[in-house]
Amino acid sequence: MDMGIGLWCLQSTATSPRSFGQAYQELAEDARLAEDNGIHSLWLSEHHGYYDGYCPALMPAAGAALAATESIQIGTGVLLLPLHEPHRVANAANLLNEQSSGRFQLGVGMGYRPVEFEIKERDMSQRLKLMNAGLDVLRTTTQTPTWVGISSEKAAERAGRRGLGLFISGAFSKDVVNTLIQAHRTAWAQSNPSGDTPPPVGLLRNLWIVDTEAERRQALDWVRSSYLVYAGLGWGADNTGVDFVSQIETSMDEVEKSATVGSAEEIATELDGYDVDLVVCRIGYDQPPRTALTEVIERIGRELTPLVQDLGVQW
Amino acid sequence: MVRLLLDLRRISEPAERERLAREADENGIWGVVVTGPQGGECVEASAIATTTHHVTIVVDVDGNDVHPTTLAEEISVLDQITQRRTMVIFRGTSTSKATIATLLSGLPSQGVILSPPPAQASIPIQSPEDIPQTKLPEDVTQLATIIDQYRDSQTAFLIVSWERPIKELARHAVGRAASTDFPQMVADMADQIDPID
Repeated sequence: MDMGIGLWCLQSTATSPRSFGQAYQELAEDARLAEDNGIHSLWLSEHHGYYDGYCPALMPAAGAALAATESIQIGTGVLLLPLHEPHRVANAANLLNEQSSGRFQLGVGMGYRPVEFEIKERDMSQRLKLMNAGLDVLRTTTQTPTWVGISSEKAAERAGRRGLGLFISGAFSKDVVNTLIQAHRTAWAQSNPSGDTPPPVGLLRNLWIVDTEAERRQALDWVRSSYLVYAGLGWGADNTGVDFVSQIETSMDEVEKSATVGSAEEIATELDGYDVDLVVCRIGYDQPPRTALTEVIERIGRELTPLVQDLGVQW
Repeated sequence: MVRLLLDLRRISEPAERERLAREADENGIWGVVVTGPQGGECVEASAIATTTHHVTIVVDVDGNDVHPTTLAEEISVLDQITQRRTMVIFRGTSTSKATIATLLSGLPSQGVILSPPPAQASIPIQSPEDIPQTKLPEDVTQLATIIDQYRDSQTAFLIVSWERPIKELARHAVGRAASTDFPQMVADMADQIDPID
């Protein structure tokens, strides 16, 4: 099981204001720190037109992170494909991989904010059609490893049928995660009866390494408050127990229950139950002080990564 | 004065583009011009920005078949990465160019405003026909004549192709492009004291 970190959103929030220039400079610094500590990958996230500057253009940001590093993988988790021109995405992905000797991972998703479709003058009711058309273009124009961000069994099945990797939200319980993985694997097996290696599964987890109960409570509060951003963005998912639009407190309780917070050994034991190729530790919250963020990056690399390297999918 | 922009668009090897950009950065060239496949222009510019500190990154973008807000978002993020060192050469319709210029000035266009905004108050955006380009000769006397012509014709920017060491371009052309009383004898003396291979 590989260990990545995410999600770098390059924001300046009301909670933690900063200059955007600083945010992009710290992206390069964090990527180098993660690389130096043996972390597999760093993942970026996209939104448009939000007050806090949530990164709307992941490819130039990925270019900066890749240019600043030598071995770590940089991924989009996720790029909102229906809001882009797919041929441009493919060209940028190919260039990123050419420049970085194959260190770029392309995660794509559908998007869910009506205002973002309005900004790009696209019909949100047609987002599935736009997504599928975009994936068709990517299939023929890029060899870049492609993952699909999903929040429903149907979406997991679609990704499986296409032979694409899965990128699962950090807000879901273990039962929901396992259901989504099963849907993905079953659909892939039915579409590829002679195939031997299913496409990879990546799992975003709210995760923090702590030593004391006080630190644990602090980390869980950071996790809870981080979802205020998603409440502001209007994120929710059907049939998962998570809906930040209508049930914010209940959803935060659900997120807290699914968070993986403890010693490196406790976290490794918890992750042993997931049949995935990659865990992306969601640590890019806006509340922790920078020293806490850099410390947890180092600990994920030095303490957790060695413990989980033999876990997960074994093909 | 005329600001010199070193043309890196025809340099096929990424490592060579980065080396030339770094040399331009270290020797006081005002800007480097970069591009990429459609959609990858700001990716290339971002990589060059990461390896330089001072030089202006002039990104040549294809504005056809792309929503203007998408392109403006990419350029705005690039300007955060370059830390205010972005300039744009835009190829596309005048309508798209006007929309992008508005957005890159931090102003709303049809109710849309960029977030994050550009780091600069306003990112310069030019059309290709606004900026002359030339392949500079190796001969220093001929080089001086050409630079003098563009400087005296009130041209703001000049894209130059140059196949000799960047330091030589900087020594003989940057000061001349900036001033009518450039002391050529100082550059010539520097060639004697500190020859450039």
